[in-house]
Amino acid sequence: MISVKKVNNKPLNLLEKIYLWEIARGLSVTIRHFFANLFNPGNILTVPYPEKTIPLPGNARFRTRHRLKVRSDGSPKCVACFMCQTACPAYCIRIEAAEYTENTVEKYPAVFDIDLSRCVMCGMCVEACPEDAIAMDTEELTGGALNRGELLMTKDGLLRNLPGEPSRKGAANRLANEYLKSRGEE
Amino acid sequence: MPTLTIDGKPVEVEKGTSILEAAQKLGVYIPRYCYHPKLSVSGNCRMCLVEVEKAPKLLTACSTEAAEGMVVRTVSDKVKAARRDVLEYLLINHPLDCPICDQAGECGLQNYYMDYSLAKSRFKNEDKVRRQKRRALGPHLVLDNERCILCTRCVRFCAEVTKTAELEVMGRGDHSHIDMKEGKALDNGYSLNIADICPVGAWTSRDFRFKQRVWFLKKTPTICLGCATGCLIEAHHNENTIYRTVPLPNPETNTWLCDHGRLAYKAVQGGDRLVKGVIKNGLIDFEPALREVAARIDEARGAGAVAVLGSPWLSIEDNAALARLAKDALKTENYCFDFASEQGIKDGILINKDPSPNANGLRLVKDAHGGISQAELSSRIAAGQIKVVLAEARAAGLIKDALKAAGTRLIVFAANKGEIPAATYATLPYASYFETPGTFVNYQGLRRRTTPPAEAPEGVKPLWAVVNKLAAYSGSSLRLDSAEDALKGIDLK
Ligand code: SF4
Ligand code: SF4
Ligand code: FES
Repeated sequence: MISVKKVNNKPLNLLEKIYLWEIARGLSVTIRHFFANLFNPGNILTVPYPEKTIPLPGNARFRTRHRLKVRSDGSPKCVACFMCQTACPAYCIRIEAAEYTENTVEKYPAVFDIDLSRCVMCGMCVEACPEDAIAMDTEELTGGALNRGELLMTKDGLLRNLPGEPSRKGAANRLANEYLKSRGEE
Repeated sequence: MPTLTIDGKPVEVEKGTSILEAAQKLGVYIPRYCYHPKLSVSGNCRMCLVEVEKAPKLLTACSTEAAEGMVVRTVSDKVKAARRDVLEYLLINHPLDCPICDQAGECGLQNYYMDYSLAKSRFKNEDKVRRQKRRALGPHLVLDNERCILCTRCVRFCAEVTKTAELEVMGRGDHSHIDMKEGKALDNGYSLNIADICPVGAWTSRDFRFKQRVWFLKKTPTICLGCATGCLIEAHHNENTIYRTVPLPNPETNTWLCDHGRLAYKAVQGGDRLVKGVIKNGLIDFEPALREVAARIDEARGAGAVAVLGSPWLSIEDNAALARLAKDALKTENYCFDFASEQGIKDGILINKDPSPNANGLRLVKDAHGGISQAELSSRIAAGQIKVVLAEARAAGLIKDALKAAGTRLIVFAANKGEIPAATYATLPYASYFETPGTFVNYQGLRRRTTPPAEAPEGVKPLWAVVNKLAAYSGSSLRLDSAEDALKGIDLK
């Protein structure tokens, strides 16, 4: 069954039908704001992005550009399990796995690309990651770019830690922890 | 013939059948790890426990013989609790490294955990027994002892199927682990089957290692062309790349697959793959190569000095197209579809004495189109009556002595650069049977058709299509628009 909503539009009165009066009323709102902003610029709500930004409200910073976390020995925390690539609804992650000969973690991503021009900023990749290796907390908005290439993030561009990291918090990988310990890099 | 009841449904089975197999007949699935239909029963994993009326304890369905009047329950609370507990036990020491494990997605532990357990682990990570992580064993496999649940399928496979017995359970209790016996190498020619039958990620394939997650793979059933046995296989592929082939067990031909046949798919996509024409030693585009070949054929044709040789490595379709080229376009009598082959299983498992997959199919082409014998062709070449020979690369090797002696120009069809015989004048590429359908008849006389899992590289056509074009250059039309057209006139029986 399609539900039908009845809308009772009020019939226009004479003044509204004349039209010019309503136009003037609307313009007066615009003009009022124009003068208010002109004499009191501190109250302007919009900022000239991207030159200027405002702090992101609440948890919105967890929907900003991706990064891949790095272990204390400089290796990516990511083990190329493909969970994020599988979960991504926009098919924008491309991983190629490779094998460490030495490191007991065995597997790492040789290629890790995120095509931001396709990304819908849903955060599924972060949810899916069993290693806490990918995060969307750089507080950089994925704004416009002059060509598509700029929106393709590769492993080099993604790998970085925030100040205070690497922390062992959330290091799910026993093998990684053991490896770091064996090198004295806890 | 005992009749028993499983979950309220009666079933009559042969004497000696196990409860697990009887249930299978009814379509009731009983979870299992150590049971494998083609290996001896071991009964060590306890995953298959079922409740049997009048039995004091739960019984293992895989090792209990079905008896007259038995009443079996596979879904009672007691059975469910047993399955949960067995899984908890098997997972106590499991490292849970699914993110880096190739088995993830087709793992017995993952699947049964989702189906029968979903319980939280009660054991601390630190208390887990550690075992050796990855190590390469044999030319094709990697073993991770920590993931192993000791079902001994691998041990039994090596002892019973290949009879080489390289593997054994070493140590006792917490120290038990699978290892290779001293002085052995695990290179029995069937070793990759171990990666298939291992229900967890303990044995994985080195070839497939980290190449692709299994849930991305699409599956296409096709046939192996490694020898005349013609095993049924399933090609696993994604985005036009084949990542592995696995056996498709069937009662007629095969349960397993030999390593040689299993890795044959690699030739199709390796750097050795031929995607352009070759004139002498230089690569050139397909069209100019074809024109050059046509010109050479035209030169020799007037004198009736062109010969065409069929090949047991080619499908019936492609051989038939070659026969039509000789008969209807070149109008020569110098064509041969006659190959002697001795067939039969060589090693008691799968590998055939005849390394070519289609000697029997070739016979059907010969019956339909005739032709001279191979000895006759060789002698005509040796006598210098033939100036140009058109053949498939591997078949050309069979007459190479005659060719060399007479200095005849050889033009071959090849899918791989490595196949091209020395002193070949021109080579034309064709689509392999991973890329185009082809009909083959195996040593048992079973006719099977390949289903292509991938597409041929750009510009590479099926052999029958290349032949069709060649005929057009020679001024006659064979009207071959599909593989089926080539089959016309062949009695497939
Ligand atoms: S945020 Fe969503 S769309 Fe963007 S990469 Fe992650 S999973 Fe894909
Ligand atoms: S889910 Fe995490 S560990 Fe897995 S591939 Fe993605 S970033 Fe790497
Ligand atoms: S399948 Fe019956 S005990 Fe393992």
